[in-house]
Amino acid sequence: MTDESPNDDRTESRDESDVRSDATDRRPDGGTAVESDGGTDVHSDGGTAVGTELTVPARKADYEDDSDHDFPGMGTIRRWFVTTNHKDVGILYIVTSLFFLVLGGVLAWLLRIQLWAPRTPTTTVLEPLAYNQAVSAHGLIMVFWFLSPFAFGFANYIVPLQIGAKDLAFPRLNALSYWLYLFSGILFGVSFFQGGTFAGGWTMYAPLNVPTFTPDVGASTAVLALTLFVASVTVSSVNFLTSMHKMRAEGLTLRRLPLFTWSILLTVWMMLFAFAALLAALIILSSDRLLGTTYFTLESPAGSMLWAHLFWFFGHPEVYIVFFPALGVMAEVFQTFTGRRIVGRKWFIAAMVLVALQSFVVWMHHMFLTTINLQIKTLFMITTIGISLPFDLMVFALIYTMLKGKIQFKTPFLFVFGALLLFIIGGITGVFLGAIVLDYEFRGTYWVVAHFHYVMVGGVTALVGGLYYWFPKITGRMYDEFLGKLHFAIYFVGFNLLYFPLFVAWETPRRVFDYAPALIPWHQLATIGAFVLGLSFTIMFYNLAKSAFSGEPVGDNPWEFATTAEWAVPSPPPLENFPGLPTYRDGSLAFRSERRAIEGGTATDGGSSEVRSDGGEQTDCLRDSSEVRSDGGVTASATATPTDHDHDDHHASHASIWPFVVGVGTFLLFVGLSGMQDAAFPEGMMGSVYVSLTVLGSVVTLGSLVAMALEPFTGPELVDGETWPFGDLEYGKVGMWIFLASDVVLFGGFIGAYVFTRVAFGWTAWEPIPSNPIPGLMNTYLLLTSSFTVVLALVAAEKKNKWGLVASLTTTFVLGVGFLVNKGIEWDHLFHEGLWLSSNIRASTFFLTTGLHAAHVIVGLIVTLYLIARAMRGAYLEDNSSVEYFGLYWHFVDIVWLFLFPLFYIL
Amino acid sequence: MVNTKFYTIIYVVLFVSATIQVLVEFAGLEYWTAFGLIMVLSAAKAILVAAYFQHLRWEPRSVTYLIGIGLAAALALTFAASYSIL
Amino acid sequence: MFIVTVRDELSAHVLQTGIVPRGTRAFVFERIFEVFLVLGTLVGVVVIGYMLYNAYKYRVGSGRGSDLDVDRPVLGELPTGGGGGKKLFTSFLLSTVVVVSLVSWTYGTLLFVEEGPQAEDTMEVRVEGYQFGWRFVYPNGYAEDGTLRVPQNQSVRLVVTSDDVFHNFGIPELRVKTDAIPGTETETWFRAEETGNYSAQCYELCGSGHSFMRATVVVMEPEEYEAWYETTGGSNSTSNTTQERVSL
Repeated sequence: MTDESPNDDRTESRDESDVRSDATDRRPDGGTAVESDGGTDVHSDGGTAVGTELTVPARKADYEDDSDHDFPGMGTIRRWFVTTNHKDVGILYIVTSLFFLVLGGVLAWLLRIQLWAPRTPTTTVLEPLAYNQAVSAHGLIMVFWFLSPFAFGFANYIVPLQIGAKDLAFPRLNALSYWLYLFSGILFGVSFFQGGTFAGGWTMYAPLNVPTFTPDVGASTAVLALTLFVASVTVSSVNFLTSMHKMRAEGLTLRRLPLFTWSILLTVWMMLFAFAALLAALIILSSDRLLGTTYFTLESPAGSMLWAHLFWFFGHPEVYIVFFPALGVMAEVFQTFTGRRIVGRKWFIAAMVLVALQSFVVWMHHMFLTTINLQIKTLFMITTIGISLPFDLMVFALIYTMLKGKIQFKTPFLFVFGALLLFIIGGITGVFLGAIVLDYEFRGTYWVVAHFHYVMVGGVTALVGGLYYWFPKITGRMYDEFLGKLHFAIYFVGFNLLYFPLFVAWETPRRVFDYAPALIPWHQLATIGAFVLGLSFTIMFYNLAKSAFSGEPVGDNPWEFATTAEWAVPSPPPLENFPGLPTYRDGSLAFRSERRAIEGGTATDGGSSEVRSDGGEQTDCLRDSSEVRSDGGVTASATATPTDHDHDDHHASHASIWPFVVGVGTFLLFVGLSGMQDAAFPEGMMGSVYVSLTVLGSVVTLGSLVAMALEPFTGPELVDGETWPFGDLEYGKVGMWIFLASDVVLFGGFIGAYVFTRVAFGWTAWEPIPSNPIPGLMNTYLLLTSSFTVVLALVAAEKKNKWGLVASLTTTFVLGVGFLVNKGIEWDHLFHEGLWLSSNIRASTFFLTTGLHAAHVIVGLIVTLYLIARAMRGAYLEDNSSVEYFGLYWHFVDIVWLFLFPLFYIL
Repeated sequence: MVNTKFYTIIYVVLFVSATIQVLVEFAGLEYWTAFGLIMVLSAAKAILVAAYFQHLRWEPRSVTYLIGIGLAAALALTFAASYSIL
Repeated sequence: MFIVTVRDELSAHVLQTGIVPRGTRAFVFERIFEVFLVLGTLVGVVVIGYMLYNAYKYRVGSGRGSDLDVDRPVLGELPTGGGGGKKLFTSFLLSTVVVVSLVSWTYGTLLFVEEGPQAEDTMEVRVEGYQFGWRFVYPNGYAEDGTLRVPQNQSVRLVVTSDDVFHNFGIPELRVKTDAIPGTETETWFRAEETGNYSAQCYELCGSGHSFMRATVVVMEPEEYEAWYETTGGSNSTSNTTQERVSL
């Protein structure tokens, strides 16, 4: 096979260096040749730094004392509110998501109890509307608040370890993602108590999703909760993408990433774009619900279809977003417990990449019975078949991996093996839906329900396997194997008892609790299965809770054939993960010491920033030869950014309370906003409560964001590793560009909604709302000029011209304000002409789209104010990256206007 | 990169083309001709801003592709959705 | 356009051969579903059987997976693949052939279904969904809520829309189903070969009454139907409201 030569290399290096997990002989540090390349350079401070090779797996003694006195211990409550460490955040994600699993599960039980027998309106257990709420909330909670966050718990914990990073690129943003996630979930919980939560199904079809048909405040809250969740996902996507592209250990090129990390990488890419489209849909929906725009209402020419397009454009990638991490866990666990490398690994990766790309062009197969034309049906049938095929390859790859294996049926493998089996059934039944003629009849029936539960809960099965797999790593203790196997047995029986009968009873319409009496036995079996499946989790919770405290302590690697880097460090891994700088330069994992050997033994607290700035003089020892190698220190110096020079403290920070406070602020803000309808708050006491919460929430959010910006916080340093495809760009710039890419899709969704609605309306019959394009042209001038002054600001900063910088930024601010004032006057005129948000669909699209743009301008102006204040005190002359990143954002806002202006004013 | 004169030229070009864009509207051309011209002008301005003000020209090409992917996704949604109801 | 050409080519070939099921909606569905079910079960049993067999065969302690001739993964190695590519591709190609041919085969039927019955011998009924029921409007303007009457053995074209939210009109036994979308119309058709009462149902969550949003479909002897249709006389109070909605 193609992999032969790397195999040989590996064998060789293993034989020579003996890095096996069971190797007991540890290398004496001094015994190996320590080569100094003597490359002292400008950075030289006299001392020669010597990098030494440490053992793999790592020993506790190799770690520096990384106890940070400012950072509270694991046992304290405070720790969990301030932590920004990826492992802590991972644990928080896992625990929180399991809570939502229970919540969603209880809702599912309610549904299954209702379905125990066909119900007439008088014999229901849940009232019809309560049933609809339960159905909707079950779907939303399981898909959004359980499945993805559960997977992202592992991603948070494991991915940095697997790529050899000490943390994610933006640790505070990571904590922020978590708090936004938690508070969005709580917000969703609040919605139950505001007259009832959203009752229109997790797909939220229009126009059932507008207040005319779902008038409860709780329904608005649910939509806002989802919006907040999407904000969390966006922050998280930017963070993960920056980290995974920029922070990989030397030698860990993309092709060589472990499969779990690969699956997460692709998941996050899909998330970045898919959730941006959902964000567009949700902002529009929120606006319809709160401000009274008419995108999805009956009056809109194609509101129902618009929602379906926007939702499924997100919704189909979402299927893979929730499933891919499970696939990654499967691949990882299969490899570890069969003792075989994944068959056709690179084809497995290629298949995943293909699926990730194609996932954006299959969405209309959810809409085969709508008014879409035959041509597009055919096209989407073809893409749908196309996307099913790579999965065949992945399934076969996993199956063939077992051949010649030494398969150990431990709990993680049982779950993952079971997951594969369930996925095969889910996949085959999915092919039925790919045939449009069959899809026509399966639409809206339990065939679909059974199919996607086999796929999605099949994915959950794999993730549960992942939980057992990484449990010893996370807690340092082994779970109880017997209870684990018992859990699997009951789980697997319960699963099939629950979902298989649904295939048999497929003629039941979805979300209906009155069905044909002939189907009663099958539904009763399913209900029994639901309880078996749900209760099996009590075994898991008991097992894991008990084992976390009293389980058998484990070493670095409890599994015989684990390969990835998380198993080469102690369980649980110390705060900064690795005893040294992980590198794969020689074909397998090695840790290079970052400690500087200084005579007298007084170790300076060589955080990795030391290593970076001193990189040029680093020497290292080679594992098994005396060959002299430069470790690329020159590159390291070259890529060093001035960011860190602001801080004297070379320790990376791990604590910040502000992400939590931002979470609280947005939560209050969104609860407050939920009370709004038709752009006004209700009268009376509840109205004042909502208004005060909105004001309070805004103040807290804004204040904590500023506090977070001002707080001194040292993130992980740029280290010398693999950075494809972003080369030597700083983290901040990469992050900003990735964010802007998602913003492109957000505005794309808005413009797409406008174009679609206008096409449905009749393109040329549609008159632009402003009768006069001149105010728009004035605004184009203002924005173009403000873009120019931002460029001048950066030029001034580069020339270290403080007052030039302040003046340019101030001009930008004034121009931005001018833009808003001009827009305000224009809107005021329109308002007095009787045109406002809800006047008609043309007005709705005009005000909302340009309003979203204006919101971007306002955010930009707030940042400008912040920059001006800091610039007046002399900031940004040494390090102007903040000004530069702001500029990227501001120019983007400018570019968006360049398209909005013609589309909404002159065409 | 630090060249104020150069940026000023770009700025003037942007300013002028924004003006031309509106003049096209008033020129009384056939609707779809004017539509095409106006969108081309918008795209040209956008490319100028991205290439020079956002200095994409000097960044790794991957950044351009990244934005391009986002744009492609948005356009796929817009065109396929609109086409589906024609 | 590419797809259109392919479609025409395909339809020309496929529709003439006898392989593609044609007939009532119920007939074509049952035919295709059967084939999918048999093949799907077969493939499922083979794949899962093979998977279980190998899991048993290579279990630890079976003595088969000797370390001597197999290179096991080690901690810290750079991930690589485990060979076995030929087998992988054979299976992949096989599954591709199965899936592609199955779905292409059904495409012929899709074209048949999309084309619908010949216009001259078809009657058309307009179906309007509302929270929570169905209204049927006949060509003479007569409208009736909750009951659709059609003659036996006649193709019926349904033009379906909604007055309020997104519904979906389906008559499960006759295998006809289409979305009822406000502001726009979808079309579908069916032909009932047996007289009797059938039930129609909403298939898209539409609010509190969704579970009970039903209608009765009465398939009558043609003569009986004609006699009934005569009595409707083409005027009914509800038809006026209907017209208003249409012009919206």
